[in-house]
Amino acid sequence: MTISRRGLLAGALGLTTAAALAACGDDDASSTEGADAKTLTLWHYEGPTSAMGIAWNKAIEIFKQKHPGVEVKFEEKSFEQIQQNAQMILNSDSAPDILEYNKGNATAGLLSKQGLLTDLSDEATKRGWDSKLSGSLQTTAKYDDDGIMGSGKFFGVPNYGEYVMVYYNKAMFDKYKIAVPTTLDEFTAAMDTFVKNKVTPLAVGGAEYPAQQIFYELALSKADRAFVDDYELYKNKVDFNGPVLSYGAQTFAEWVSKGYIAKDSAGIKAEDMGVAWEQGKFPILISGSWWYGRFAKEIKDFEWGTFLFPGNKLHPGSSGNLWVVPEKSKAKALAYDFIDITMSPEIQNLLGNNGGVPVVADPSAITDAKNKELIENFNKLTTGDGLAFYPDWPAPGYYDVMVAGVQGLINGSKTPQAFLDEIAKPYNENLADLGK
Amino acid sequence: MTVTATRASRTRTPEKAPLRERHPARFIILVLLLVLLLLIVAPLLVVAINAVKSPADYAANGPLALPHHLYFQGIVDFWNRVDFGLKLWNSFITSIVVAVLAVILSVFNAYALGIGRVKGRIWFLVFFLIANLLPQEVLVYPLYYLSKQLGLYDSLWSVIIIFTVIQSAFGTYLLTSVYTEFPKELLEAAAIDGAGKWRALWRVVVPVSRPTLAVLFTFFFIWTWNEFFLPLIFLISNDNQTVPVALGVLQGDRMMDATTTSASALIGIIPAMLFFLIFQRTLTRGIAAGAIK
Repeated sequence: MTISRRGLLAGALGLTTAAALAACGDDDASSTEGADAKTLTLWHYEGPTSAMGIAWNKAIEIFKQKHPGVEVKFEEKSFEQIQQNAQMILNSDSAPDILEYNKGNATAGLLSKQGLLTDLSDEATKRGWDSKLSGSLQTTAKYDDDGIMGSGKFFGVPNYGEYVMVYYNKAMFDKYKIAVPTTLDEFTAAMDTFVKNKVTPLAVGGAEYPAQQIFYELALSKADRAFVDDYELYKNKVDFNGPVLSYGAQTFAEWVSKGYIAKDSAGIKAEDMGVAWEQGKFPILISGSWWYGRFAKEIKDFEWGTFLFPGNKLHPGSSGNLWVVPEKSKAKALAYDFIDITMSPEIQNLLGNNGGVPVVADPSAITDAKNKELIENFNKLTTGDGLAFYPDWPAPGYYDVMVAGVQGLINGSKTPQAFLDEIAKPYNENLADLGK
Repeated sequence: MTVTATRASRTRTPEKAPLRERHPARFIILVLLLVLLLLIVAPLLVVAINAVKSPADYAANGPLALPHHLYFQGIVDFWNRVDFGLKLWNSFITSIVVAVLAVILSVFNAYALGIGRVKGRIWFLVFFLIANLLPQEVLVYPLYYLSKQLGLYDSLWSVIIIFTVIQSAFGTYLLTSVYTEFPKELLEAAAIDGAGKWRALWRVVVPVSRPTLAVLFTFFFIWTWNEFFLPLIFLISNDNQTVPVALGVLQGDRMMDATTTSASALIGIIPAMLFFLIFQRTLTRGIAAGAIK
């Protein structure tokens, strides 16, 4: 998702050369570089009451205790501003010493390629960040020389994760005596029961990311890790008419025709989807952990719960956004210390207790039963290497292709075959651009 | 009953006929106007309703329901979160300086082009028109490098200079066409009285065209106040940001906070609306008066 919202402007080439010069040298000195700095300028764009906002505020406090002489200049930025301007800001003297930045090829990958970010590999091994992060979480933290994620050097450190799951309205499940499904067949049987009772089972936002994540979830039910590596990391060519993606497209179309997904949901935005589900208009919502804290806070009228998409080993999801250290940072050593604090058990558990999904959580330290469930499910995913990223990641501008394609499936203007052809084209064009 | 009815119809028909003819049409127009008004005010109303609604209330009853009780915490939280007072001040300073400088610059340019009849003034005007039509996205990289060279990146001055130029390009274009119609007699009279070009500008041209200048001033102020894109790029530090940039803080990656966003939108538009109300009289007068008295 983050990639799609990238409003990066043309003309980036000019920056590349300027930055390449700055990136040379200072390999050995990096761990102590800027250790004597008197200020640490820190930016992130999480709201003060979100899990990340709360945990990171605490991390700043701890940092201040450990570095009494250092002033922390924290600024809450807008997502939009960082998204639009990161390149320009990081290439100027107004660059912060450490900031939260989006993971992905078009964002962190691009900046790493331009030499605007500091290589964190040495720190990651020295401070043990690499062993704390499981394989699929590291994928979005590492970028190669071309700025493509999955291998190469550490350019960022994620504190939290995110994954797509099934939220369900317990009151409505009870009303029709439906048990929590454990297989895909049971899941469709449950949705059939709802349809029979004239209830549309799924709240879907077809105008934004949610619908394509359902399509991807369905495709993943037939996929293995090799498919994900091929699709997301370009290891091998992907056959869009192969068993995985065509199953996803056909089953999605079937779900529409069976009435699991309302035809008018093609024009619904994610926000409206969430609010409709909160109002109890739909029993089931398939979406990401980013809703969790909000649902916990706002839903007062009914009991709800979550389960992983039944039968799937792989689920859409990834690490959250990254802490990155700009190459122009004047307090790199302090920035490393700060990242280390955010990875400490205290901060990680605080994140978990506030409805976030910490990357190295200890479920026994999580007091709230709901949060515990959320984190245990995530741990189940990461230990089984089950994060399959998002369907719109592989190519620039792919998000809009996906939205339009899935909308066509929902309103019936496209056959599954036409949909697959439509999404194959930009994917393969991007591969050609990358020279693969 | 019948008696009164017939009597009434007999006595009132002659004088009521024209009224009755006009009445349905008037009624329809009134209804149409009301519908139009509602259409225009509706988004504002939705913003106002949600600004004073608690998040739980919003989640339970949706965006269109009336709030159960007034909830001002969203507005207070947002104000403190972004230090809104400071943002208001930044926006005000930027807009007022831009409006004043851009009007002065427009007057100078238009005096030369419209009254002074400089050679090739058509081309000057075409140039200003093109400068006006350029999308701001095109200007971003050149302006970024220039401002970095001059040490103005992340400073209010960069935005003030840029918008003074952009707004005065429009002002020059508009004022020039006004000044080409400027009555020659007035200028000749001034010249006979011994006024130089400088004096004629300040004593004759500016006072006569004051209503037009007031309109320009008001527009420049509001346009600059509402600018988002370039301030977003040039004002990096939170201490330098303007109101529209501060409003962007609430737009997250995937989540949006509808109630707080509404609260911020409400306090974000109030200043511009107030300013408009204050200067509304000059606006109507300026347009009605035209340039020539």
